[in-house]
Amino acid sequence: MGMQGDFLQLLKEQGFTLGASTAVGTDHALTNATTILAFKYRDGVLVAGDRRATAGNMVMYDRTDKVLEIDPHSVMAIAGVPATAYEMVRVLEHSFKYYRRTQLQELSFDGKLRAVSKLLKDNVPAALAGTGAVVPVFAGYDVDQGSAKIYFYDILGAEFEGVEYAVSGSGSPTIRGILHYLNTWGDQPLSALPEEQAMVQALRLLTSAAEFDSATGGVNREASLYPVIKLITGAGVQTVPDATLKPLYESQVVRYV
Amino acid sequence: MYEEPYRWVEAVGNRRQYLDEQFKQGSPVVGLTYEGGILLTTVSKGTPKLYEIYDRLALGGMGHPTDLEKLRFSLLEMAHVEGFNRSPSDVTGSRLVKYGIAPVIKQAFEEVYKAPFIVRILVAELGLKPEKDAFLTINYDGTFEETTGRAVLAATPAAQTKMMAYLKEHTTATLSLEQSLDLALRAWAIGSLAHQQEETDQQAETEPPTSRAGSSTAAIPKADVLMTHLRGIAGERVIECAVLDRQVPGTSKYRSLKPADLSRLLPKALQSLVAG
Repeated sequence: MGMQGDFLQLLKEQGFTLGASTAVGTDHALTNATTILAFKYRDGVLVAGDRRATAGNMVMYDRTDKVLEIDPHSVMAIAGVPATAYEMVRVLEHSFKYYRRTQLQELSFDGKLRAVSKLLKDNVPAALAGTGAVVPVFAGYDVDQGSAKIYFYDILGAEFEGVEYAVSGSGSPTIRGILHYLNTWGDQPLSALPEEQAMVQALRLLTSAAEFDSATGGVNREASLYPVIKLITGAGVQTVPDATLKPLYESQVVRYV
Repeated sequence: MYEEPYRWVEAVGNRRQYLDEQFKQGSPVVGLTYEGGILLTTVSKGTPKLYEIYDRLALGGMGHPTDLEKLRFSLLEMAHVEGFNRSPSDVTGSRLVKYGIAPVIKQAFEEVYKAPFIVRILVAELGLKPEKDAFLTINYDGTFEETTGRAVLAATPAAQTKMMAYLKEHTTATLSLEQSLDLALRAWAIGSLAHQQEETDQQAETEPPTSRAGSSTAAIPKADVLMTHLRGIAGERVIECAVLDRQVPGTSKYRSLKPADLSRLLPKALQSLVAG
């Protein structure tokens, strides 16, 4: 019922279903071709994603935004089937607003996490059929507790807290190891990095992922195409403009041999 | 017994009388555009009367809290389902009111076996451009009115006319938020004083009609009289203000003004009323 402020329930009453499962041939290569990452830094969480969308071994689009703002304090980075992922983001966006406006209070951070897993759970048939698997990373700032948080999910909707960092997508195996190494034996743990250093690391990580994964876009300087990087702090979500990324990339990521 | 047309007309007439009576204790609501968007304000007894409906839509209400809640929920449902299924820019105040709640209110009003909605509603809509800012007011019988620049809810048409005239007279080309809050509260005081006046007029109905005519056409009170009235009433109630602010980043433009904002924005005479 609407009285509970549950937007998804309201949609269902109107006949909405998320990612309806259809029988498909098994040959469809609908993989999680992308790289998204999130890690905690000094002031909050950084969430980043490359911008390539692929279909099989074809590049469909090089300007995709996979790091999507859901509300002023939370972001969902998506890996998986874009159609379903975007739909989920739209449902979540409306759900959080609807909850706030009907109940006259913000949905708690735990409530938001629950909403994400519920959507993923509803989507299991489509995920298993191969037409709608989504493996997101959800990051945000828990205003009540005053702390940044990262969660990642499997396609069935199980939720795991990424204490320091989380990754997803086809390029993620490459950078998962790097993140572990950096965090354990780097000059300082990731969570102590100042903002600029955090952005440099994100650019380096995505460039590494693109090096080994054809489905990850990386940086294309000729087309001035930079990854999407968002910073979430107590003040809210902030998208880092390309104008900031460009000099950082040129001075600290490109190797001049 | 209502099958006979005459009976029905009579029943609806009684209903009007009954409903008019219900609003007497109500607090007026003022909506006013300012340079940065739209301001809504009222002085409430505790239950809030100003609400967020959608990204660019706000609601102000008078009447029974439960009825207001019911209609608020249907507005919220319609707005969010439409915003999701189509797009947020397809959610307009005019569609929600004309095809959404106005018919429901009218039907409830005319079904004389059932309870009517005891509400008057103001929907404020922030346009993409300032010239598209709009207001819709809906009466308890489902009639609605579209205005630009300003809109009010009051207990009686007379009070409403006075408030509108005052707002119109004192609106300069562009008002800052501070100025518009000052003006809106003065207009609120005019409405509230008019309510009081009508009450006393009614109680004194036995008196010769000449004195009644004299009092209802009384001159508009001066600003300091209005402020004194406001101070008297707002002391034990809550000054409620919300804005649809064009400058707010993100899609949701609604922002209710917190005591900290109010203590800065309110006219000097009222600042002490807000616990900062």
